[in-house]
Amino acid sequence: MPVSELSKKDEIKNELCKTGIEELDIMLGGGVPTGSTVLVVGSSGSGKTTLCMQYLINGAKEGERGVFFTITEPLFKLTKNMEGFNFYDKKLIESGMVNLIDLRIISERLGLDTEKYTVEDASALLDILRDIADELNVKRLIIDSITALCYRLQTPEMIRDFIFKLGSSLAAMKCTTLLTSEVPPRKFQYSQYGIEEFISDGIMFLGDIERKGDLIRTFQLVKMRGAAHSRTKAAMSISTKNGVELTPLLKSRE
Amino acid sequence: MVNVLIDGLKERISNAIKINQSIGIILPAANYPDLIQALFERISSNPEEAWVYVTVTKPCENIINQFDFLKDVKNIKFVDCISRAAGINKANDNCIFVESPTMLEKIGLEIINVFKEVDEKVKKYLVIDSLTNLIIYNDPDIVTEFFYHIINRTRTRNIHTISLAIEEEELDKYLTRLIYLNDKILKVRDSFI
Repeated sequence: MPVSELSKKDEIKNELCKTGIEELDIMLGGGVPTGSTVLVVGSSGSGKTTLCMQYLINGAKEGERGVFFTITEPLFKLTKNMEGFNFYDKKLIESGMVNLIDLRIISERLGLDTEKYTVEDASALLDILRDIADELNVKRLIIDSITALCYRLQTPEMIRDFIFKLGSSLAAMKCTTLLTSEVPPRKFQYSQYGIEEFISDGIMFLGDIERKGDLIRTFQLVKMRGAAHSRTKAAMSISTKNGVELTPLLKSRE
Repeated sequence: MVNVLIDGLKERISNAIKINQSIGIILPAANYPDLIQALFERISSNPEEAWVYVTVTKPCENIINQFDFLKDVKNIKFVDCISRAAGINKANDNCIFVESPTMLEKIGLEIINVFKEVDEKVKKYLVIDSLTNLIIYNDPDIVTEFFYHIINRTRTRNIHTISLAIEEEELDKYLTRLIYLNDKILKVRDSFI
């Protein structure tokens, strides 16, 4: 990366992008450094999509336009699941403050509906993502999930290159990006391919612990470049009324 | 005789909670119905206060059915930690259901969320019914940690706390440690009147 681009990135990092989830912003020391690419890691049902959507909608309520690229579920299912949450506001979608895009449809239109992408395909996809972000002037972007996208990239180098280039260009647009990463349950790993976490600026880990047979959702900020963040494990709650909430996890051994 | 006992309990609780941030009430199981009646009567006669009643003992539906006057009481919100775990799925607008009494963080979160919606000037009270039952569902150490959190968080928000411990022949050693975290202890005896 050229020196001028690096210093630009440092400049941007002094600004913070509030998630709007009170306890999370406290853990972050105010918010995610603007322009960061953050991996939201968790197994199926851990709350990755809900957390990302809440972040996007909270931003839109503060006047920051956002885009949500879904790969794992169709748009109608995504919106149906979100409609139950109080934070969800259909008007933000209708007004274009929150844009929901099915990346599979875009891929098909680009003729990228093959099982595995070539370097050229990946480059074309990257361009389209950048163009959409630029055209819509978004400040918050989600890819749900980067795991599904990486599945089509044939080599670790392609994955590294894709995420790095995506992160760099979005950072230059002062766009703060969350990428969801799917991992197997109860495995202490941050990504499927072991590359994504090294290129990301931050890692939010959504897990669970078992207590007397019940599962307690947990949340941990593993990494956040440019932020003096908390590293304690928090208990996470998801409710239709308040969406994602965090509270200190009780630490006593069972 | 019963009315005298309930009136006596109400007076003791009212006096204690006026001057203490947190009170622990140790009572024999036989006096439990009288004590909760006294508590609910105290709550309903002070509609200007805001109360959160955490029940780990009885489903909130049962409590409301037992004390009919609670149906019209607006200043109490229940956090029911037992109904869902017992397979009772009836909804109630005045009640927040927590899936299991093991989800202590969720219980704490719901308590604070209710109080966040209450005007700052309103006097706020929390009842935990009971520490004895929380220890049945959880390991004592984690209940102790939970109780420390609750006591500290409620103190900073100026919420008065009443926690119940039911003793049989002798109070469990963990419960003894817990209940004495309160500013004041009330011991209910059959003969105290």
